[in-house]
Amino acid sequence: MDLHILDHRLRVTSISKTGLEQYTHPLIKLIFLRNRTRCKFFSLTETPENYTVVLDEEGFKELQPSEHLQVEGSTWLPLNVVSNGNASSSSQSVGVTKIAKSVIAPLAEQHVSVFMLSTYQTDFILVREKDLSVVVESLVEEFNIFREEGGESVPVHSQDACNGLQRNGREVPHATVHPVLIPENQFCVMSLDPDTLPAIATILIDVLFYSNSPREGASIDQDMECIKFFSFSMIDGYVSLVMDTEAQKQFPTDLLFTSSSGELWRMVRIGGQPLGFDECGIVAQISQPLADSDISAYYISTFSFDHALVPEEDIVSVTEMLQAQRMSS
Amino acid sequence: MSSGYKPDILWSPHHADRYVICDTELSLYRIGPAGSSETKAGALPLSEETAATLLAINSDTPYMKCVAWYPKQEPECLLAVGQANGRVVLTSLGQSHNSKCKELVGKEFVPKHARQCNTLAWNPVDSNWLAAGLDKHRADFSVLIWDISSKFSPEAVPAEKVRLSGDVDSGLVVTKPLYELGQNDACLSLCWLPRDHQKLLLAGMHRNLAIFDLRNTSQKTFVNTKAIQGVTVDPHFQDRVASFFEGQVAIWDLRKFEKPVFTLTEQPKPLTKVAWCPTRMGLLATLTRDSNIIRLYDMQHTPMPFGDEVEPTIIERSVQPCSESIISSFAWHPSAQNRMVVVSPNRVMNDFTVFERISLAWSSTTALMWACGRHLYECTEDAGQGVAAAEKDIATKMRERAQSHYGHDTVQVWRNHVLAGGDDPQLRSLWYTLHFMKQYTENVEQKQQSNKQSLIYSGIKNIVKSSSGTTETRRCWSGSDRQTDVPWYHSEERSLALQLCGWISRGPDIDVEPFLKSLEQEGEWERAAAVALFNLDIRRAIQILNKGASAEKGDLNLNVVAMALSGYTDEKNSLWREMCSSLRLQLKKPYLCVMFAFLTSEPGAYDAVLYESRVAVRDRVAFACMFLNDAQLPRYIDKLANEMKEAGNLEGILLTGLTKDGVDLMESYVDQTGDVQTASFCMLKGSPGEVLKDPRVQCWIENYRNLLDAWRFWHKRAEFDIHRSKLDSSSKPLAQVFVSCNFCGKSISYSCSAMPHQGRGFSQYGVSGSPTKSKVTSCPGCRKPLPRCALCLMNMGTPVSSCPGTGKADEKADLTRDKKLAQFNNWFTWCHNCRHGGHAGHMLSWFRDHSECPVSACTCKCMQLDTTGNLVPSDSV
Repeated sequence: MDLHILDHRLRVTSISKTGLEQYTHPLIKLIFLRNRTRCKFFSLTETPENYTVVLDEEGFKELQPSEHLQVEGSTWLPLNVVSNGNASSSSQSVGVTKIAKSVIAPLAEQHVSVFMLSTYQTDFILVREKDLSVVVESLVEEFNIFREEGGESVPVHSQDACNGLQRNGREVPHATVHPVLIPENQFCVMSLDPDTLPAIATILIDVLFYSNSPREGASIDQDMECIKFFSFSMIDGYVSLVMDTEAQKQFPTDLLFTSSSGELWRMVRIGGQPLGFDECGIVAQISQPLADSDISAYYISTFSFDHALVPEEDIVSVTEMLQAQRMSS
Repeated sequence: MSSGYKPDILWSPHHADRYVICDTELSLYRIGPAGSSETKAGALPLSEETAATLLAINSDTPYMKCVAWYPKQEPECLLAVGQANGRVVLTSLGQSHNSKCKELVGKEFVPKHARQCNTLAWNPVDSNWLAAGLDKHRADFSVLIWDISSKFSPEAVPAEKVRLSGDVDSGLVVTKPLYELGQNDACLSLCWLPRDHQKLLLAGMHRNLAIFDLRNTSQKTFVNTKAIQGVTVDPHFQDRVASFFEGQVAIWDLRKFEKPVFTLTEQPKPLTKVAWCPTRMGLLATLTRDSNIIRLYDMQHTPMPFGDEVEPTIIERSVQPCSESIISSFAWHPSAQNRMVVVSPNRVMNDFTVFERISLAWSSTTALMWACGRHLYECTEDAGQGVAAAEKDIATKMRERAQSHYGHDTVQVWRNHVLAGGDDPQLRSLWYTLHFMKQYTENVEQKQQSNKQSLIYSGIKNIVKSSSGTTETRRCWSGSDRQTDVPWYHSEERSLALQLCGWISRGPDIDVEPFLKSLEQEGEWERAAAVALFNLDIRRAIQILNKGASAEKGDLNLNVVAMALSGYTDEKNSLWREMCSSLRLQLKKPYLCVMFAFLTSEPGAYDAVLYESRVAVRDRVAFACMFLNDAQLPRYIDKLANEMKEAGNLEGILLTGLTKDGVDLMESYVDQTGDVQTASFCMLKGSPGEVLKDPRVQCWIENYRNLLDAWRFWHKRAEFDIHRSKLDSSSKPLAQVFVSCNFCGKSISYSCSAMPHQGRGFSQYGVSGSPTKSKVTSCPGCRKPLPRCALCLMNMGTPVSSCPGTGKADEKADLTRDKKLAQFNNWFTWCHNCRHGGHAGHMLSWFRDHSECPVSACTCKCMQLDTTGNLVPSDSV
């Protein structure tokens, strides 16, 4: 297995719902006017609390600082696992589950905080730049690590990165088991030909920026059960969309790519209150049991909470499993 | 190819006249000659000769990303279309509904997770297999190999059930691929390897090219590279693959897949298409975005990558098929050589043939060859008998002259012009000049006048300059007492000049009678008459003309001229004078013309004679030497010499001699004719070493020698070298071969010269002299025996015994020839590789029938090591 440290230096930011109007211009530019910006990594996720924007430094320049913009202080680097083509295809599970044991668990053990971003195409594991030496040290056993620089893949060896194993220095807090919320809405993960993006521009703008305006026919009763969640990302020219089935109805069916099986996903939101960026082992908490039961999952971290997506048919067992976990702790 | 909505072009694999343009729809065109009955009114002109007719349009498949044409003959015109959502649809164009591909058309192959289909490739052998390269998905493979016949396999839904359910479409959707490759990666381009149809070359997102073998998909060879945008196999060289990325093209050799054989990085803009020419070995065409230029890389006999240093020769060219318009895509014609159709973004098509480079080669004989495309043209001289000798190519002439020993007659030097064919007035003049020069020096030698000897070869120009003590006389017309008012000049140098002109044989008396006799003999009546007249002998002139008129094939008009001549009067205002000076211009014969010019001109003003270019230079110069004064003569000679020099006229050698001026003149002659042969021989005659040292002369001589070698006239070349060394002692070659004794290591010829017996050279080893006399079979230094001949087992130095089979009569007949050969037959010769050898004669006869060394245990293929050994000289000994 190969682990690639991608050539993006990322910032994790959050825009408050009230301050959105100040940022619609840069966001629209980053989403639709690809040739006007040099941003190669852009992800926008709407949650009930705020908008989480993860973007590279080129894109970050577009965002004017204000009271509505919260920025996490560190620079994050995306990691990507490449199966090298000869991985056994026996396990049908996808996404985070596949890398739970090989990447997420070792990093949790080393107390490296990770920020997960799953897309239609692949899973990105974001780590802080300052943690990179620890990351390399703890994963070098398992992976051939390459750092991508200017289009070339340069092999990374552990001694290059760090002189011996050093702990993060942080106290090992007793793993807190966070409360989870399992909303009722069904989600789908989709992609799109970037060339057809202009065709759905108005719908996308509507869904992204006007989601709070009352919609005809949408019953307010469901609000308690459903949560607003929409994610758009465009990374190296690949578009990925995560939305619930309600939002999906607004899009023309022939433009969005999805699985032929039409699979749907349920969400598990982790955290009763904002999780912050320092706590580690949260992803591992969820992904480990899923991996044990061979359940595939997407995992999307946002500024405040983490979100795992699991197949609809597995939600019952996942719920039980998480409850069991709470009981035991 | 991520062409977006720009049109791409695809040529039918089996119909050389059909192609498809694909952008948002598929359009099938037929290409044909413009203006023919086949092409209808709606035909689009592609070039001056060709036009395209639209046959069919198919717009059933939206969001096309890539198209691939079914490679087999049947069903024809079956296309696979890769769509933006990853579905691959089979479709067809211009086919009737009952055609063979009916069952296949409309069939869809759907990946588990939708994403763009980047590339499609049909397997060239198992044509049911269609490989599709898709963008990446986190949980899916990027390369899916579909079996287009899978519906018909027994496992598929029975046809009955389909009919009952009425859902025909469901039967047309295939979701289970035959093979899945490349997890977690995008496939940007792929191709099947023609050498092994189970192998697939993929270009993936993670910057690598990988070769998968379908028999064992877990194994693959891969290499990291940025050049992953497109891969394409050279149809002529199945191990050669081109892949590209942005503005770079990498050429790979699959047998040495670690790194590209070389990379072409010229273009600042990203490439959009790279294609090998199917009709021409090693020709790669590349197109960059928004460009109107197609760049061609011609890889010349790419050597195998022996070392890292080997860089193949690549000739780069660009072509501009349509002058202004940007090219969207292009496609090589599958069979017509170097032909392509290009299409612009707004679908304007253009039929275009890349013109092949022409390479040209002159043969050392007269032939000229050039190659263009697959054609080889030879241009040879018309060897028919009707061709006039003067029109023959100089190479032919020189070959013929070399064979007739041209230049080698050192006694009767003038005869060389006869050897040269005797039909070139310039050569005739040249060799006569050289003859007279030689004749004079020989006479002078008898007279022991060495000061003139150096002067004689420096030409009349210098002779005249040194002239002193000219006497001016007024001679009478011979046969009458009448004084002429024509001043006549005489000096020693002038008479020397007249000798060189050939008018008189030796000075100081001016007696042209022998010259006139020889002219009469040759039938040059007019010239003889003119010479007689210039010597103020009208009577003799009239006599010559009469003789000419009465001679066999004589011209009766000469009598008329004689009549006119007899009426000569020196009265200034006579009717005779008036008529002669005006009518003489109508005379066709130059010598007759100058005769009357002389008679009618004022004394000292003989321009009409001196500048009559049809009169031989030697006659004009001789005339000038007699009738021009000391001031006029050098001016005239200088002027004439410069004229000759510029014209490269060999007659001018008379004036310039074999001096630097003469070399200048010869240079101009060689520039015009290329006749290095005459130049070499002529300059060798110049005894002063200065002209021979002139680099131009050395160059002519070397070129002539090379030419003789190239014609395989080795004997002629040797003869020339001998001839040359006789005339130019500095050109004698030094000894190049020494034979050293095996025991004492001394040269056997060197040691003998150091011995008391002086003067023993190779001659004593049977190299020359009588074969029976000399018999030295041991080293003169140490007295040990010389090696034995491998064939006769005699020690070297033993003369070769004559062949026992030859009859006595033959021997006598070929005596001279045998003698010459016998000398060489006794030479030592040996193979440089195995060091076996013996008598040259024995070796020659052995290797006539064998290629292996005559020594029994030796397997050396001596003869094959000698690259020129099998060439036969094309001249006789």
